[in-house]
Amino acid sequence: MIANLVVGGLAAGCLYAMVGIAIVIVLNITDIANFAQGEMAMLTTFFAYWLMDGVGLPWWQAVSIAIVFGLVQGIIIQQVVIRPLIGGPVLSAIIATLGLNVVLNSVAGLIWGHQTYTFPSPFAFSPPFLIGGVPVSVDSVVNIAVGLVIIIGMTLFLRFTWTGLGLRAASQNQTVARLMGVSITRTSAIAWGLGGLVGGIAGILAAPSLFLDTNLMSALLIKAFAGGVLGGLNSLIGVFLGCLALGVAENLTGAYLSPSFADAITFIIIIAVLIMRPEGIFGRVRVRKA
Amino acid sequence: MSAAADIIRVSKPRTSGNWGPVLGGLFLLLACAAPFGLNGYGLYLLTLTGIFALVALGLNLLTGYAGQISLCHASLFGVGAYATAILTQKAGLPYLISLLIGALLTTAIGALAAIPALRLKNIYLAIATLGFGVVLQKIIFEWRSLTGGGGGLALAAPIIGGYEVGATGLYYLTLAFMILGLLGAWNVSRGRTGRALLVIRESEIAAGSLGIHAPRYKVTVFAISAFYAAIAGGLFAYLVRYINPESFSVGLSISFLSMVVIGGLGTIGGSIVGAVFYVIVPELLRGIKDAPGLAFGLLLVIVMVFMPQGLWGMLRRLWRRS
Amino acid sequence: MPSLAIENVSVDFGGIHALKDVTFALEAGSIVGLIGPNGAGKSTLLNCISGITRPTRGLVRLDETMLSSMSAASVARHGIGRVFQHPELVADLSVRENLMIACHGSLHYGLLSEFLRLPNVQRQERTAAEKVTEVLARLGISDSADTNVRSLPYGHRKLIDLGRTLLMDISFLLLDEPIAGLNDSEVARLRDVLLDLRKELGLGILCVEHNMPFVSRLCDRLVVLDLGQLIANGPPAEVLGDARVMSSYLGEAVDA
Repeated sequence: MIANLVVGGLAAGCLYAMVGIAIVIVLNITDIANFAQGEMAMLTTFFAYWLMDGVGLPWWQAVSIAIVFGLVQGIIIQQVVIRPLIGGPVLSAIIATLGLNVVLNSVAGLIWGHQTYTFPSPFAFSPPFLIGGVPVSVDSVVNIAVGLVIIIGMTLFLRFTWTGLGLRAASQNQTVARLMGVSITRTSAIAWGLGGLVGGIAGILAAPSLFLDTNLMSALLIKAFAGGVLGGLNSLIGVFLGCLALGVAENLTGAYLSPSFADAITFIIIIAVLIMRPEGIFGRVRVRKA
Repeated sequence: MSAAADIIRVSKPRTSGNWGPVLGGLFLLLACAAPFGLNGYGLYLLTLTGIFALVALGLNLLTGYAGQISLCHASLFGVGAYATAILTQKAGLPYLISLLIGALLTTAIGALAAIPALRLKNIYLAIATLGFGVVLQKIIFEWRSLTGGGGGLALAAPIIGGYEVGATGLYYLTLAFMILGLLGAWNVSRGRTGRALLVIRESEIAAGSLGIHAPRYKVTVFAISAFYAAIAGGLFAYLVRYINPESFSVGLSISFLSMVVIGGLGTIGGSIVGAVFYVIVPELLRGIKDAPGLAFGLLLVIVMVFMPQGLWGMLRRLWRRS
Repeated sequence: MPSLAIENVSVDFGGIHALKDVTFALEAGSIVGLIGPNGAGKSTLLNCISGITRPTRGLVRLDETMLSSMSAASVARHGIGRVFQHPELVADLSVRENLMIACHGSLHYGLLSEFLRLPNVQRQERTAAEKVTEVLARLGISDSADTNVRSLPYGHRKLIDLGRTLLMDISFLLLDEPIAGLNDSEVARLRDVLLDLRKELGLGILCVEHNMPFVSRLCDRLVVLDLGQLIANGPPAEVLGDARVMSSYLGEAVDA
């Protein structure tokens, strides 16, 4: 039924959107497409798992601590790996994040092995909501709710706080921002920290349904990039809506056109949209004077 | 007195021309002698290096010189592999002819990948080409009657001139193609096309003002890189003798891109060095208990942090100091 | 004598009328200055002639050839050279290599020949290299020929940018603020080069500039744009005395 598919698509889309938001904050402020974003989130999720399974903490506590871990992880990676790369060729930084991707994946594999774990969710046994007569799983509602909270929270943060203002200034023009007293290294660290934090939330929400293993986030990462590009990578709202659109499109093509071609068809749609609107649906054109 | 007087002089040390050909000759000799000193696995690795070097040569012209990011080259590699295999196996064409026809077919497909490149750049182009690659891979997977679908294709040894080509034969064939490809890419990089690509990377508007039609060159360089990937694919198919769509995934495209960046973007030598790094280094790390992947990933990060221009630049600097 | 005609050119960007019905002509061998307050549409006009922007109405003609329907690369190949306000050279290459790029139009060989580096290709490359050496000498920058462009000062890079057009077999040259950022000796050299070009090659030169003394000494004629419209077209003395021209500049100063 179409309502179910749309809601499911929105829920999946919100997961992509969270990763997408993490990517876009880092991309806009440090000009680096972080291909390790997924693995960072995966590591944060494993950490949460360990807190619950190994240490015995309840879900809320474990998740809260893990989210902080995600934040710290982002900052550490920015300081150790990314800072030396600033000013160099962008592709080199991207390949470095790919290397990081492999490193984090291996580290997780070393610690937890490559088997699949079940990640608990406090909503697993809750009965589905009934919205307009359509049963909607609690997981979906939570994903969408958290997604909305994150996008609204981020937008408010960027618009109404001093730190947020600094981040926006740095994303537009680093030299001018520096002249106005914004510390670029500090904003970079904050950007990466936020990325790690939001990505971690995405991982924790994705794990119950996708099952926790070292490959949890790899498919999600590509979808996040694809949805972000579709919506327009220089706008948070654009990334959010693009990822939602991607989630819904996937579900609908999967159900009505062909389940095995859903991915291919969705990509064809994205390519077609991009050829018509190269900066993404909601993207802003960066004007370059001749 | 010209204005040049007040300019800071930065001299560019030229490598003394005499050593280049000598070194090249030495490597050629070693390369030709290799099969006599190596076991089967070593020869396999060397052949694979040559194959990846071919991909890297083409991809470096596209990404290094022209600045176009592509994440579909594993699929083009795959199309070349499948086209060669199908033409040889099912149509009964001689191997070398299949290789060539397969490459021409793939070139046409690769030129299609240029269409997004006419409008898109950077991460947007990366995702568009990634999507293109996914679609190609999907077509290979679904066209079961032709490609064997997910089950893949098992291949018999190729035959050239009535003789069955074994591991050594394939090695020499790969070496020959690699040397041809290397010289060709080098010539293109020194000619008007190579220079046009560099301007296009820098600024398409500047290119236009010099009479260089960027769209035409983008299609050309996508086509060239597809040709290289396809020949490499056709050789690869008969190196491993069994191909399936899984092998030609986004992950491999990303590896190809990494190869070129690690080796050195915009350099011919970097393509070879990158291929060597990608094939040989994981082998060397195999011994590291439990964590060959970790070590390789760390190496990637370290190389990029300390040598962002790639290994080739570092090697040249070391050579000049000595 | 070839002539470049701009006929009733109008350009609208969304709601903005960047150019309104501009008409004038540029003859071979003449140097015309294009002046006007900021935002008057001077760069837009140059972009229209170069083929970077398509006019919403009107056309640009080189004798009988319609330039306004062509791509920028085609316009360049028809002999219209363009020097931009900020030189866009390939940073990692040397001066010589940057100039070689401009020889593109004079090299006629196919991809396969290039791939195999046939003798024909080698010969043409050598000829092009010789021409580059000549241009380096003419501009007086032979000493830094093999220097990486990245390390050269601004004025130097502007000269190289100009040098590129010399390798292109042009009949008309469009310059966008050529002396901005140059010191006095560099300005004098540029002026000499431009006058030489006019004398030796019979180039028609259209020069956008803000520096009045430079422009009135160099140019045969001045064309004045204000808010997209052509408000004067004549010899420098006459134009600079024109009341409308004065008020378009003064009016702007008073508002600022």
